[in-house]
Amino acid sequence: MKKILLVLLLTSGIYAANHIVDQKGKTFIPHTLKVSVGDTITFKNSDPFAHNAYTDNEANEFDIGMQSPGQNIKIKVKAQSSFNVECAIHPNMLLEVTVE
Amino acid sequence: MRNFLSIILLATLLFSSDAQFEMGKKIYKTSCVSCHGAKGSSDTDTSLIVEPRVLSKTILTQEQSYQVIKKGAHYWGASTDIMPAFESVYSQKELYSVAYYISKAFNEKIKQKISKLYFQSENIFKDKQDEILKRGEKVYKKNCSLCHGIEANGDGKANNNPAISIYPYALNKTLLDEKQIFLYAKYGGKYWGSDRDAMPSWSKKYDDFTLKSVAKYINDSFIKKR
Repeated sequence: MKKILLVLLLTSGIYAANHIVDQKGKTFIPHTLKVSVGDTITFKNSDPFAHNAYTDNEANEFDIGMQSPGQNIKIKVKAQSSFNVECAIHPNMLLEVTVE
Repeated sequence: MRNFLSIILLATLLFSSDAQFEMGKKIYKTSCVSCHGAKGSSDTDTSLIVEPRVLSKTILTQEQSYQVIKKGAHYWGASTDIMPAFESVYSQKELYSVAYYISKAFNEKIKQKISKLYFQSENIFKDKQDEILKRGEKVYKKNCSLCHGIEANGDGKANNNPAISIYPYALNKTLLDEKQIFLYAKYGGKYWGSDRDAMPSWSKKYDDFTLKSVAKYINDSFIKKR
């Protein structure tokens, strides 16, 4: 039983998906996303100025900090709790993440 | 006799206003129109390069405009010195006449507009002063400081990321009063004539109470103390 659990634990990362979200024209592209627990989201910055993506959702809380143009930053989805991502610099940016 | 003197005084005042307007108009055509346009709408060839303020939308009052024309925008917190100081070029009377002309020609009702927009907005209750400042500080540090800097020096982390990507004001030097700061944050730079549109409108993110709290925090922490 323990071996089965160990194998499942080790292989769970293989099935986790990486989702790419771009930030361009002060917009998240795409602006909606469906993910699973364990998946990762890579935030790209294709704008010529900085962004600062974050969420206040307690279960999946993150703040990637100041993200330079051209920089990619990855976060992991930790819990089964859908959340919104915003940018601390550009208030009209919104990404709706549904955790399935 | 009194009526005669009143008429003379009134005529003098009117003549002075007309003379002031004409003086300002002449100087505006010489020194300002190439960037700001004949109608203050900044629809000029140079606007593609220097991105001048649309004067017909500016939040600045006549007196504030005079100060910017006199000392230049950088003196009052702008991160660049594209809007130069004219105090060494024109006399005080001439500078004042330009501000007068701009006010009368393009933006005469700005004070009424500021009052109307401000008093239409949600009130801050006087008995929640501590809460107001705490809330303002929290939002300022979370959002505004990223561009404007923790000490409102215009040196936020986003400012040099990369360099010259945004142009945040050093709020500790601003001419704006607390009401104007609130309205600027609420409606954003483009509404108030900034072509760059770098300063966003925060009205969708925060309610009037919060934005007034931020304006109060900025005013009390950085402007009053200078």
